[in-house]
Formats: sequence, C-alpha cells, structure tokens
Amino acid sequence: MLIENMLMAFSAIRANKMRSFLTMLGIIIGIGSVISIVSIGDTMRGLFEELYRKIGITQAYIAIGYWVDDWRQSDYFTLDEMERIKEIFGDEIAYIDSDAFTSGDAVCARTTVKFNYQGIDYNYQEVQPVNMVYGRYLNEGDILGRRKNVVMDTASAMNLFGVENAVGKTFRTTIYGTMDEYTVVGVYKKDLNPFQAMMLGSNADGGEAFVPYTILTWPNDYFYDIRIFAKDEATMDVFFANLKTYVAKSKGREPEDFVMNTAKEQMGQWDSMMGGLATAVGGIAAISLLVGGIGIMNIMLVSVTERTREIGIRKSLGARTRDIMVQFLTESAILSACGGILGILLGSGIVTLGGSLLGVQAIVKPGVVVMAVGFSAMVGIFFGIYPASKAAKKDPIEALRYE
Amino acid sequence: MRLWNRGKTEDLGGAWSLEKPDRKPRVGEIIPKVKTGWAKRFGRFPGVPGYITENISEELIRLEDLVKIYDTGALKVLGLKRINLTIHRGEFVAIMGQSGSGKSTLMNILGCLDRPSMGHYYLDGVDVAAMGPDELSLIRNRKIGFVFQSFNLISRTSALKNVELPMTYARKGKRFREQRARMLLERVGLGKRAEHMPNELSGGQRQRVAIARALANEPPLLLADEPTGNLDTAASVEIMELFSRLHKEGTTVVVVTHEEEIAAFTERIIRFRDGEVVSDQPNVPREPREYKKGSANESGGHGPGGAAAPEGKEEPC
Repeated sequence: MLIENMLMAFSAIRANKMRSFLTMLGIIIGIGSVISIVSIGDTMRGLFEELYRKIGITQAYIAIGYWVDDWRQSDYFTLDEMERIKEIFGDEIAYIDSDAFTSGDAVCARTTVKFNYQGIDYNYQEVQPVNMVYGRYLNEGDILGRRKNVVMDTASAMNLFGVENAVGKTFRTTIYGTMDEYTVVGVYKKDLNPFQAMMLGSNADGGEAFVPYTILTWPNDYFYDIRIFAKDEATMDVFFANLKTYVAKSKGREPEDFVMNTAKEQMGQWDSMMGGLATAVGGIAAISLLVGGIGIMNIMLVSVTERTREIGIRKSLGARTRDIMVQFLTESAILSACGGILGILLGSGIVTLGGSLLGVQAIVKPGVVVMAVGFSAMVGIFFGIYPASKAAKKDPIEALRYE
Repeated sequence: MRLWNRGKTEDLGGAWSLEKPDRKPRVGEIIPKVKTGWAKRFGRFPGVPGYITENISEELIRLEDLVKIYDTGALKVLGLKRINLTIHRGEFVAIMGQSGSGKSTLMNILGCLDRPSMGHYYLDGVDVAAMGPDELSLIRNRKIGFVFQSFNLISRTSALKNVELPMTYARKGKRFREQRARMLLERVGLGKRAEHMPNELSGGQRQRVAIARALANEPPLLLADEPTGNLDTAASVEIMELFSRLHKEGTTVVVVTHEEEIAAFTERIIRFRDGEVVSDQPNVPREPREYKKGSANESGGHGPGGAAAPEGKEEPC
C-alpha cells in the first residue's frame, strides 16, 4: 500500500512538473543553504583541528599572568627550574623548552633575508616531526654545547642561498645584539595545506630556522615562559593543573597568578565559535525551509481542490478516510523529500566546488545529509497534514458531483 | 501460476489466493486471518468485521421504512418517504424516475455513500443505516460495485491500475491484483487495452473499464447510475448487453435510469415519483437487437422498438 501510494504520488508530481519543481524550490534552497552552511562549519572545524594537531594539541605554555602587578625577577624561569620540572613530571612531559623566539637579518654574501629563529631542544622532532630532506636534525650536542647550528626549511634555504640543499653553508646573523656565524646542518620540507599556510603565516620572502634553545636563553638563562608537550592527551588536563600549582608554589605565588595557555583550550574556543556561528546562520537558513513548507502546503491545498472528484471516486471504491489521508501525506512528503535531496546535491556541490577552489577538502557529514532528508520529509508531512485531512474529510457524494 | 483455494476465509475476497496454503483446507472450513506484529496492534489490515459474512438469505437488499430528510436550514425537504423495498439475489432491476423523483437519493443510499435519516437498510443481511464512514467505506469496497454515468475513471492511470484500485483498498497482493484485473478486462473485452490511459479509450470502452473495476472485489451488488447517459446508441447497447450477461452469470444488477430503452433490458422496473415508489412491475427483457436509442419516449414501450427516431439523437440531460 505504501508503494502504491508512492507510485501515485510520483505520477501526480510528474503530471505537474513545473508546479512541483517550483514548490520544491523552496525546500531545495532551504536544505541547500543549511547543508552548505553546516558543511562549511564542519570543514572549518576540521581544518582548525588539523591545524592544532599540526602544531601539537598537547601543547601548553605557562607564564606569569600579565595582570600581576608586583612583578619580580623570580617570576622568570631558569634552566635549572626547567630541569627540576623535567625531573618531577618526567613521566608526563613529552617535550619541554623555553619557548624562545627571536628574529634577525640573515646575511649570506650579498643576500639579506629576514629570519625568524625558534629555539628548540633536540627531541623537538619527536613532538613536531618534520620531513628532513638534507642533512640532520639538531642533536643533544648542539643543544648542550650551544653550537651555532641551525635547521631550516627548503623555502628559506632557497631564499637565502638560492639552493635547497644548504647543508654546510654558513650565514651571519645577529641574535640579542651579537653577530655570529651560523652553520646549516639540515634542511626539511614543509607540508602545509593552503589553509594552514594562511593561518600559520607564510613567510614567502623571509625564512625560518630552528636553533638550539640554549643559544636564545643565553646570556642570563632567564626566560619568560615554558612550553610543554604532554605525553598523554587523555590525562594532560590534570597534569597541566598540577604543573601550574607546582610552579606557583615554587615561586611563592598563587596558581591564579600564572597563566596556562593550552592548545586544546584555544582549539575549543575556535570550535565553539565556529559551531555557534554555523548554528546561528543555519537557523536563519532553516527559516527558508519553513517558507518552503508553507509553499508545499499551499500547493497541496490546490491539488486537493483540483482532485476533489478523484477523491470522491476513491472513496466510492472503498478508500477510507485514512487511505486518502495517507495518500496526500505521502505526496507532500515525497515532494518535500525530493526537494531535500536536490537541496543536498546543491549544497554539497557548492561546498565541494568552493573547497576545491580554496584547495581544501570539504566535509559533508553523512549524518547531516540523513538529517536533512529526514527533516525535509518531516516538513512535508507537517505541512501536508492540513491539506490531507481536508481531502480525507470530503463527503463522497459532494466530491463525486464536483466538476 | 495457479490459484490456490484457501477455503472460505474471513476476508471475503481472499477465497482465492496466490499463496500456497500451509495445508489443504477442508471444504467450507473457515480459515481465520491471523494478524501479527504491528499490523495487529495498529489494525493496519482491518480484519473484516464479523458482520460481513456471506449471507445465505435470498434478500440482498431490504429497505424498511426508509426516510431521507434534507435539512437545508430553513426548511426540511423530504427526499424519500418511507420506502419499503426488497431486491433478491440475482435480480436485474431498473430504478426509474424523473429528476427530483428521489432516485438519485435512493441510489446514494443503496451505494452506501449516504445514510438514511430514518429506517433500516439491510444489505446482505446487515443493517448499514447506522454505520460510520469507515465501515461504509469497507462495505462499498467489498459489497458494491459502482458504475457511473461519467465513468469516473482516474485520469493519468492505466485501465489496469484503475481496475486494480478497489483491490488495492482491499489490501490484496500486487500479483493477485494484476492477474485479476487482466482477467476482468479480458472479460469485458478489453484485454488488449489494459495499459491504455482512460483518455485513449472511447466512451464505451471507458464504461467497460469501469464495469471491470466494479467487479474487482466480486461484490454481490452491481450498482449502475445512468450507465449509458454519456454513450451513443451502439455503445449503450454494448454496455447493457454486458450487464445482461453479468446478470445471467449471477450478479445482482441495479440500474438507475430515466430512459425506458435502458430499463427495457431489465427484468424488474421500479418507478419513483416525489420520493415514493409508484410502481414495481416485472418486465420481460427485450432482445438487444430490437433496441434503438431514442426510438420511443412513452413509458412502458415493451414491444419491438420502431426505427422512428433519427440515428445519433442524444438523450435529454
């Protein structure tokens, strides 16, 4: 019986192709915009998550709060303190450094390039792996010996030396007021998608290089914050809280005076912002679904009036109230669901096209698609109830007499 | 493919089924239709209620003091005035009368489209006067085959699907429906036109499709309302011959008409005037070849119809 009803509905929809399409258009646009907005939101969240995975989701920074007025020398960290933290929380720390960062002009022959230097420990490769193409990574000896060796990416090497394989080449640069000669010991290749390059800031003309962090803490070995990568993502929240308490205690302060900035928290902020935005805009888009539903109700009312005689015939042949009701409900549900399916094609088409133009993989979640079809069918059923009950309640004699 | 006799089932139309029974039923055994699962809970397949059983009574229709009052607000119009009427199984009856005589009202009530204001209407031994709309739908589906003046086929739907429709509402299986619909179309001489749409058929053919549809659920009563009203002479003869044939095969046929020529095919003529039966006489059916449409306008033209009127004259509307 359901199949019969569906076949009847399809033939009725086919009989008025243009009208049916225009009716569907409301649903097509509604579902299409909901799908594209939700998908854009999902895609953005996916991109941010990927980005944070790239820069390390287990990452955190701890420093004295900027709101603290009675700032003291002891609020800085020292290498000794860092060693102590390493000893105490050794099981939970994957990586720790002084988060040292500076910039300076790198000079090689007549080429001068603005370089950013990031101070790292030798095991940074374990938490932020890079694809080494030439030479080697910084090793323990470089760190402990404060050797002036650097590792840079291929683009920076290209900018500075004009070749990708810059291993063994030297350049001069000024760090903290001292000009020295640095040697390239390795070159790696960056693999970022366009979105990541945009968010991380591409340094097209300049360069980036890893240097031993011990160089950047020199000469006084005081530094403002500590960067940590936790070993276990599951338990890192507790660990970070414990660490904060420990640091505050060791410096004779309250834990509230320190700021603990974790990547996960930041990502969560982005995530909730994106989610909130998508929900808000999606809600507005859903209003167009309501409008589409009213369009369906309108056209179903017309259809019921037009087919009064058919209703009379069906009733005279033994159709019960419920049979007529189900017939018209099926029709409006199918009308709406067809619109929903076309809307999904439209929405996912737009998102996929836009994604491919921007060079990112668009995400259209199957759950969203299923929900959209279900929702559009529900819109059809909801807005079909009134016309269908109107049809079903018709008096067979009156309906048969209708011209 | 063969049909299996499942014995007499509670479901009237299900005496013949395409499904093989679990075991061979004994003669006359009543096999209860078992509802299972959600179908049972929600009554998806209405188990045919107990009052619809094949009745052994010879009386198919009995009207007792039937009154129909039309309440138009300001005044009440008496449509039917205490009708008492009995139609037996296998009769071929014409109900005649001018417009406004109450014959359409009676037709609607006989067809269970309308309910009488007072009195009783026993159809197949069951009083349908007090039934609700859905019960009446069920009665119309199983007990009555309608043939209308304007054919009332569903447009954009093939002849086959039109014939299948009453069986669809009787929840018959797809293969059963199609097989039976083809058989019925064959029987009315339209076997080759099963896939045609109504607008591709002539008036006479459309009416034959309508008759095939009326026979779909093997109803005990065939009710025709001016079945030849929109047809030319030749087609009218065809249709009336078809009714005669069905009647000879045992179907009870009631034809409502205002044309003497049509009534002349029947075996009993009941005349109506002002909501009352004015005469109820047996009739000797005239030979089909003697029929000439519009040939005689006087009532009771039993003799051979002369070739007086010109060919193609349309009946008054």
